[in-house]
Amino acid sequence: MRPDTGPGPSGGRPRTHAPPPPRVAAATLRRALPPEDRAVFPAELDELYRLRLRARGPARARWWYRRQVAELILRRLWTSARRVTTTTMEWTTDMDALRRDLAYAARRLIRSPGFTFVAVLSLALGIGANTAMFSLVNAVLLRELPVDDVDRLVEVYTGEDDGYPYATSSHPDYLDLRAAAVGGEGPLSNVIGSRTVLARLDRDGEPQVVMGELVSWDYFRELGVPMALGRSFTADEDATPGTHPVVVLAHRTWVNDFGGDPDIVGRTVRVSGRPFTVVGVVDEAWNGTLPVVVTQVYAPLMMTNQFMEGGIDQLSRRGSRSMFLKGRLREGATPEQADAWLASFATGLEERYPETNTGHAMAALSSADVALHPLVDGVLAPVAGGLLAVVGLVLLIACANLASFLLARAEDRRTEIAMRLALGAGRGALVRQLLVETTLLALLGGAAGVLLAHWTLGLVMAFQPPIPVPISVDVGLDTTVLVFTGAVSVVAGVLFGLAPALRATNPDVAPTLKLGDAAARRGRRFDLRRTLVAAQISLSFVLLVGAGLFVRSLQKARAIDPGFDTGPAALVWPMSELSGYETARERADLALRIRGALEADPRIEAVAMADRLPLGAAVQTGAYGLPDVPPSERPSGLHDIDNARVAPGYFEAMGVEVVQGRAFTDDDLEGERLAVVSRAFVDRYYPGEDVTGRRVDRGGGESVRIVGVAADTKVRTLGEAPRPFVYELADEATLGSLEFVVRGEGTGDELLARTLEVVDGIDPDLVFLETKTMDEHLALLLFPPRMAAGLLTVFGGLALLLAAVGIWGVVSHAVARRTREVGIRVSLGASAREVVGLLVGSGMRLVGFGVGVGLLLAVAAVVPLSNYLYGIERLDLVTFAGIPAVLGAVALAAAWFPARRAARVDPMRALRSE
Amino acid sequence: MPKDVLGEFEHQVLLAALRLKDGAYSTSLVLELERVTGRDVAPAAVYIALRRLEEGGFAASELRAPPEGGRERRYFRVTPAGLDLMRESRRRYVALWDGVETILEPGSS
Repeated sequence: MRPDTGPGPSGGRPRTHAPPPPRVAAATLRRALPPEDRAVFPAELDELYRLRLRARGPARARWWYRRQVAELILRRLWTSARRVTTTTMEWTTDMDALRRDLAYAARRLIRSPGFTFVAVLSLALGIGANTAMFSLVNAVLLRELPVDDVDRLVEVYTGEDDGYPYATSSHPDYLDLRAAAVGGEGPLSNVIGSRTVLARLDRDGEPQVVMGELVSWDYFRELGVPMALGRSFTADEDATPGTHPVVVLAHRTWVNDFGGDPDIVGRTVRVSGRPFTVVGVVDEAWNGTLPVVVTQVYAPLMMTNQFMEGGIDQLSRRGSRSMFLKGRLREGATPEQADAWLASFATGLEERYPETNTGHAMAALSSADVALHPLVDGVLAPVAGGLLAVVGLVLLIACANLASFLLARAEDRRTEIAMRLALGAGRGALVRQLLVETTLLALLGGAAGVLLAHWTLGLVMAFQPPIPVPISVDVGLDTTVLVFTGAVSVVAGVLFGLAPALRATNPDVAPTLKLGDAAARRGRRFDLRRTLVAAQISLSFVLLVGAGLFVRSLQKARAIDPGFDTGPAALVWPMSELSGYETARERADLALRIRGALEADPRIEAVAMADRLPLGAAVQTGAYGLPDVPPSERPSGLHDIDNARVAPGYFEAMGVEVVQGRAFTDDDLEGERLAVVSRAFVDRYYPGEDVTGRRVDRGGGESVRIVGVAADTKVRTLGEAPRPFVYELADEATLGSLEFVVRGEGTGDELLARTLEVVDGIDPDLVFLETKTMDEHLALLLFPPRMAAGLLTVFGGLALLLAAVGIWGVVSHAVARRTREVGIRVSLGASAREVVGLLVGSGMRLVGFGVGVGLLLAVAAVVPLSNYLYGIERLDLVTFAGIPAVLGAVALAAAWFPARRAARVDPMRALRSE
Repeated sequence: MPKDVLGEFEHQVLLAALRLKDGAYSTSLVLELERVTGRDVAPAAVYIALRRLEEGGFAASELRAPPEGGRERRYFRVTPAGLDLMRESRRRYVALWDGVETILEPGSS
């Protein structure tokens, strides 16, 4: 040990050798002091510094000096801030106040583990639900694309000729637009394009259907998306159609399907049956142009026809619009200027290409304002808002719970707090200390909530919609989510801590000290607690009613007759164009061979083929010219009617009755184009007429002849009114791209296995867009109500649990506080049963009140739900009568268990208890 | 609630100032408080407390050289208002202590 660090004042070195106070700290100190003290206080501090120096050595003395300076500055800030905010002279002049408060709060929490556990648990449930839901909303709607300078990026849309402004664009239009932007002086400096397609990717000879994206060569460069390996595309590779078979792999595909092979660049992979050379792997953060849907492989736009097959040249058809465009704003240009510039550019296109572009305007929206797509955002935003409101209610209930517990604790601490107030503790300091305690609780709850959210998200993601496209919602807990959770925790801490803290420190000290706890027992304090519990019950009631309505609606939806046979069936959709069947003729032959093989199987009874099934995810319409019917609003005068292409045998296998005329037969395949229309079609356009034999116009001089009328089926949703529908007979060009619906013996799963076996016997290399059972197909339709019912049931149950804990707490606290009263009652002859009844009754009055208020709230809250409910009124009697019964039963149990304890009170002991 | 309630630390500073009579300035107050309470006392805390007390009119200060000579120091004394405040605090303490010793058993806070 160095001699000068030795303890004790006996050092006695001459002053001149003493090291001076730290220079920077001393200078800072002088600057921090008011002018009149600059000469004096530093000298006085020096004096103490020298004393320390002698006692503890230079290292510790210098450290001490620095700390004093820091403290002085912080204290001056603190007191001047307080001078502004408070008029009372509460001078907590201890710098360690916050740390002390924290330590004190921690000790108190550790000392009552039961309370802490329940508090942290309820908060964790509330905060966890909020974090989970917010993560979802964040992932889908809020997270920005990981691109450079998103504020200078705009989404470019071509409008439909029916007036909808935000649709996709065609490749020739894109090339013109890019040339105009790059070569001109307009607000856009560049326009990049992409097109998403389903492609087939072979991995070790194992084919799979993947999401592919065809992008302009400068796509990644303009967005600033880096490559994890290799390079992105060059201008050469996107200059001439079909000449550069190169791909960039998604990071996830590289890792999952190619084992993260470090030598992947330069390797050949087979995409849609052709060899492509891998030139790069895109950065891990990039999931593709469309959020949620994961792109697995990228190729230059010029390879579009090699990716898609199907015989249509997507690159040269100006009327074939399926590209997403993004524009880069020049420095200083605004999205509004881009929008105006695009509008005039589109007018130019209309003049040059009236055939394809009449009525197709162009528009731009700032990319920062578009999450998925303007149309989808419009649908999702209110749903997201509703879900956040629901979990917000759960958190509110958890906070009410905690506030109620803390009120009880505050009552128990009244003597202590009154004492401290009387001893001169400032009310502000006490409130702060209590708030520190609740905030600490809330932060603990928040931490536990994050863990719980992780678990809840797994639960929510289990509701994966049954669609054939790989989906990724990156619900990771990123900074935004954690900041959100932290903020929610602190707000919750203050929210549930403030009222109890203010009450507990109510400076009405004298009665408490004089009368003891008895004074605290009556009056408003207890009412506030009971009000909180009643509020909890009201809020849980609202949530439970919501859950009940969706559960009932789901039951009803299952009972709606969709107009076709929903019994067991297998649905398989082969993608023969991705499986090496190059011409339409080959594909049509394959489809007929598969159908033949299926029908030859003794366990298979019927096979339907169609490019669209009722109640599927896709909406498909055709434009029809209807003779003798007034033209539609569209410039062309054609009518948009839902349609499908079907093969002969469709109506029989789907169980849809043909009520007039006839269905299709195999002989029809070679002749003129035929159609069967739905009864709603007749009722809408040709009421009372026999439409068989009529021709309807299909544009381009073609027409189809109606041969029959089929019974109505539900087309898009279960709740819809009968919808006009046209079944067109598939021709050679379309026959090869239809989905098979296979009926027969056994369950859907058995049928599916059987079907795949048969198809495998014909071509084992065939890839499928989807293979599923009829039940799975219908599940998609019920996905939104099922998800709503599931989530609301979980959250409603959670709320009920929290409310039950609240009731339990109030009653058991009442039992503890009223021990003396119970003792008196028992000693005066009240039976245990009467005492329990008294306590339960007081608890149940709260429940009655809460349910009453909840009923009113629920009636108001369910108004926006009516659009989402099937077959029940929003004031469904079963729900509105059943939920109070459930809630009442749970509440009764929650009150009865603690009340029972009162019956065991020993009157003598109880009377002595104070 | 009375506006002028004395915080615990201010109370201690005023008491120490009274004990030190004419010799109360920040260094001597720090040393006196440390000696009596047996704890480390931050000069910054004392400095701030003194300034606040002075602002509230409970203490007054003057700059003068110490009797033994040397640099000027800021000496503090307790004003009549400060004395009133201390009397009031003392009265409350005594009233409160009356009959509540049992609550303050060792181990409870």
